[in-house]
Amino acid sequence: MLDRAANLLQCDYQLALTPTAIKPRFSFYLRGRGFFYGVGILVELRLGLIFSTTGSYAALGQSALAGALGAIESLQRNDAISIRPMIADPGGDMAEYERLTREMLESGVRHIVGAITSWSRKEMIPLLELHGGLLWYPCPYEGFECNDHVVYLGASPNHHVVPVTDWIAAQGMRRVFLVGSNYVWGWETLRLARDCLMAQGIDVVGERHVPLGADTPDHVLDEIWDQNADCVIDSLIGPSNTSFLQGLAARSKTDRPAVQVASFNQSEADLAEIGSAANGLLSAGSFFEENADDLLCEAARRHAPNGRVSSFFATSFAAVEMINAAVQRAGTDAPAAVFQAALETPVTTVMGTMPIDPVMRHAMLTPRLAIARNGSFEIVHCTEAPVAADPYMTSQTARLPRSTPVPQRKLRVVR
Amino acid sequence: MTRMPVHNFSGQTALVLHRSPEIGQRIKDRCDRLGVKAKVCKDTIEEDTARNADTLILDIDTADDSMLPWPRAEAPMPLVGLIGSESPGRLAWALAQEVDAFIPVSGLGNLFSAMVIAHEVFAKKLERRTREIQLVRRSHGRLDVIRAVLALMEGGRDEALALKQLRTMAMVEQISLEDAATRLLAERRMAGGRAI
Repeated sequence: MLDRAANLLQCDYQLALTPTAIKPRFSFYLRGRGFFYGVGILVELRLGLIFSTTGSYAALGQSALAGALGAIESLQRNDAISIRPMIADPGGDMAEYERLTREMLESGVRHIVGAITSWSRKEMIPLLELHGGLLWYPCPYEGFECNDHVVYLGASPNHHVVPVTDWIAAQGMRRVFLVGSNYVWGWETLRLARDCLMAQGIDVVGERHVPLGADTPDHVLDEIWDQNADCVIDSLIGPSNTSFLQGLAARSKTDRPAVQVASFNQSEADLAEIGSAANGLLSAGSFFEENADDLLCEAARRHAPNGRVSSFFATSFAAVEMINAAVQRAGTDAPAAVFQAALETPVTTVMGTMPIDPVMRHAMLTPRLAIARNGSFEIVHCTEAPVAADPYMTSQTARLPRSTPVPQRKLRVVR
Repeated sequence: MTRMPVHNFSGQTALVLHRSPEIGQRIKDRCDRLGVKAKVCKDTIEEDTARNADTLILDIDTADDSMLPWPRAEAPMPLVGLIGSESPGRLAWALAQEVDAFIPVSGLGNLFSAMVIAHEVFAKKLERRTREIQLVRRSHGRLDVIRAVLALMEGGRDEALALKQLRTMAMVEQISLEDAATRLLAERRMAGGRAI
């Protein structure tokens, strides 16, 4: 037994973990039922956590980082691998994402939970490809991506754009204004929203994009008012979102009735910053605070700056749970083996089981719609079962009508 | 207004021409997630099957003209070329076939992009060919323009006025001058040579 164990130790050591990542503690360990248990050794996984906890969307980064740290702390109490968090804060600066990701991967880190914006994720991907790393991405995004070095754990457009636009149609709203941050999240979610709304016969009466990190200018609010929009789809993030919602709420008090605002990613992470201006806002999400159990709420109280559970917090927490289970099962931190292990044995996370599609690398999620009231979200709609991600929106088969041939008329001389 | 390229392939079919069953299966799985029903062929494709496919994804390392049931560069659907060895000879063959988009075999994660590009390039290629055919046809119609102008001059108009009238007819009907001339002559023949 000991000889066999020694061989396994050598094999796993060479194949998987960097020398500094293994700290022998005892003299033997066991392997059974295909699982590798670190009985006798302490296997330490260095886990990269790259979140902007400062900068224009710091609240989202802080919430996601807190979720990952909460999971690490929680797992340490159980039969888990030892996870050493390697924390980096790019401060919302794209160049910093590249630099920090490179440094982390060059130091031997092979798994990263991180990136908030798609812009930052796209900065990280070439480095992950170069170094063979794996990014566990815990945020909702706009779809149309499927990289072999990413596991997509956040909501795809069929989880957020489709339910929100269906809800808008069901409410009988007819004039929708689109406003988003001026980068790929805003561009693509609003393009998809436009397609979905137009397919339902709803007019899109305007579209404006605001630079990332900037306050939303008044003329955008003027246009919404001038266009008599009855709904605004809000794909803004950070201060653009806060200033927009507060500006819109201020006008609603002094002028006409409130315009319905719908978001694809508003969460509890920065709900308090918006204050009462968020009341009535509809948001899509794969998880809301209402869904959290005691374990998650306690972790949020301990780790999140605002003490709140959000979809960012919960998904990062779940990501670490999945990594822990997959590394244990694989007996290595080699990304391909860990990914395969995660596919083969979906674990029950704080968000439930989140099976991952082996081809598209996206998690199944339970789409929910919730309305903000007094600083919290109340869920108003939830699918009965988890829904597979459809990042390329293949289920949206609406096509433009084919052009019909123009009948030939008889020629006449025009005098 | 800029036309949006096709970006939803749901319900379409694809043929995959690749010698490796493993790679063929990977492409088939990925097509499946894009809503595309793919059929994998190892070395050759049948004409009927090929002509009904919306996209052909082929391995340019091993494909040759005899595997494709159409003359070189006359594929009736968009072609996506899978790049393996990057040998200049194979790339030259693929370019001669007018393959519309390329991806490395190691980059199947970008199959969607390749399909969007292939369909757009193919659509523009068809438009360009249609324009070329029209230009050839119009150049052949110059004699009809002269005949139509002469016919219109029979009413006592001079050649400038006759040509102006023919142009106006073409403009109103939104057809070319040559088509207007051909149509005018045809209608005159039907009317027994009477002026209309």
